[in-house]
This record gives sequence, structure tokens and C-alpha cells, in this order.
Amino acid sequence: MDLNSYIGKPTGAGTVHVERGAVSRFAAAVTDDNALYHDLNAAKGAGFNGPPVPPTWTFASVFQGRYPEEQPEDPTGGTGNPMMQVINGLMKTGGLVLHGEQEFRYHQSVQCGDVLHWEGKITDIYAKESKGKTMTFIVTQTVFSNQAGEPVVTEIFNLIHRGA
Amino acid sequence: MSKTISAIKLNYGDINKGDEAPVVSHELGRTDLVKYAGASGDFNPMHTDEVAAQAAGLPSVFGHGMFSMGLLGRAITDWAGVGNVKRYGVRFTKQTWPGETLSTKIVVSDKEVTEEGKIIVAEVLLHNEVGEIKVSGTARVLAA
Repeated sequence: MDLNSYIGKPTGAGTVHVERGAVSRFAAAVTDDNALYHDLNAAKGAGFNGPPVPPTWTFASVFQGRYPEEQPEDPTGGTGNPMMQVINGLMKTGGLVLHGEQEFRYHQSVQCGDVLHWEGKITDIYAKESKGKTMTFIVTQTVFSNQAGEPVVTEIFNLIHRGA
Repeated sequence: MSKTISAIKLNYGDINKGDEAPVVSHELGRTDLVKYAGASGDFNPMHTDEVAAQAAGLPSVFGHGMFSMGLLGRAITDWAGVGNVKRYGVRFTKQTWPGETLSTKIVVSDKEVTEEGKIIVAEVLLHNEVGEIKVSGTARVLAA
């Protein structure tokens, strides 16, 4: 498998609504009872238009408030996330898939009521040997922009396949 | 330069290398895994289905890495204020298991004045009751 040929390929795109119920439930799930996430009056009192979102929210947001009729054209042309093609290819000989690293870069706050557009692409793939096993690293960058077209969050996702 | 809306809680002049943020501790239960699965949309059965997890050779279900990152993120925003995190990244080093008590550790490693403003840099990690590190990384937060 020519891993380098995957660098730069789009992983997907989507449009998602940042909804209060979903954000409040997510905050509760990470044990966060900060009133800003749950109470509109508290959020407005702190200068937000709507409840803000916890730091790791966007990672989950692609599965929330995702309305079929609003989705952009699939940038993979229907072939699906190329990251999964790489993983499925590697898994033919066994092994384990691990979420190795995750990073968020915050450009502007995200608040309930926002409509986010996201686009992802593979930015790097590399392999190295560790303890006699081949470790393959796939790095995906996803940029979320708000309804004004301004970038709000950049996510960097590092998935690892550890060979059998 | 990006907008910051909510109140900045940290005073740049008062923060020094080695300072620690208040610790958040949480005993991980299976209900946490179910709640996180539902709220995040990550329904990997290794996190929610004990039968499937044991069939795969695991002792039990285990926690989502992103739950750990979320719990640690809560400790960061409790300390620095919501809306004041500029960057937050971790490596996932160990799985978490039901029954473990997970605790945060946030230690200031640097501070600098940048185009983004007055930035506090902290080494951040989550560990269990015997000190095993589950996730570790870095956060950059705004100070006033």
C-alpha cells in the first residue's frame, strides 16, 4: 500500500447545528455542571449569545444536529473516509487500532445556535517500528467554520494501527 | 486575533511555573461510559457492551479516550474559565477501567506574551489512584 498517496485526501465534510440539548447532555457526560453550558441566563450573563461548548465538543459534534438535507456534497466521491481504507487494509493482517493523540486549536468560541461546517483531510501518514511491531500513524486535520465562514476550531486526530 | 467572551480567571502576573490547578477526581462507572457513548455518538461496543468486550478478550468494557480528555478539559476550564483555552492536546497512553478513580493534574510549565495574548502553558494529565497516567499533554490558556 502506497501510504504517501493518501496524504492530502479529503476525509469528509458536513454541516452541523450546535443544539442546546445536545451540548448540555455532552457537558453532563464529561461530568461538567458549569452553569454556562446548561443555563442560557448564565451564558448570556457571561457575554455569550448562547451556551458555549466544552473544549472537546467538536469531536462529537459531527454526529449531532446533522440534518441530511443540509449536507454538502461528499468530498470523497462516495468512497468514504480514506483513513478507513488504510485501516481496513492494515487490519487484513490483524493488529489493533488506537486513538493515539488528539489536539484542539481554538480560534473563536462556539455557542449554541451556531451552524458549523467542517472539512477534514489526511495531513500525514507514516510508519515506524516499535518493539518489533510496525506502527502506522494516520494524521487527520479537521477545520470547523461557523455560519460567518470564520474558522472556530481545528482538530488534529492521530490514529494508530499497531501491527500484529 | 480571536474573540474571548467569558471572564478570564487567571492573572498573568500571579501565575508562576510549578503552580497547580485544583484537582478534579471522578470514579469511573459503567454508567459514565453509557452516558458518554450516547452524548458523543461513539457506540464502539468495547465501551458499552460487557459481553462483546469479554468476547474480545478484555476484562470488561473500558472508557472512551475522549471521555478522559473531556474530564481533563473540565478541570482546565474550571481553572482558566470557559472560552479561554487556546490549544489543548493529549496523547492517550493507557485505557481506563470501571472502578478506577481518575484525577487531573495540571502544572504550569511556562508563560509568554504572544499575538494571542498573555498565555499560560500547562502540562496536563489524568491518572488513576496508583499514579498510572491515562492521558497526558499540554494546554495553552489565556490570562489577563
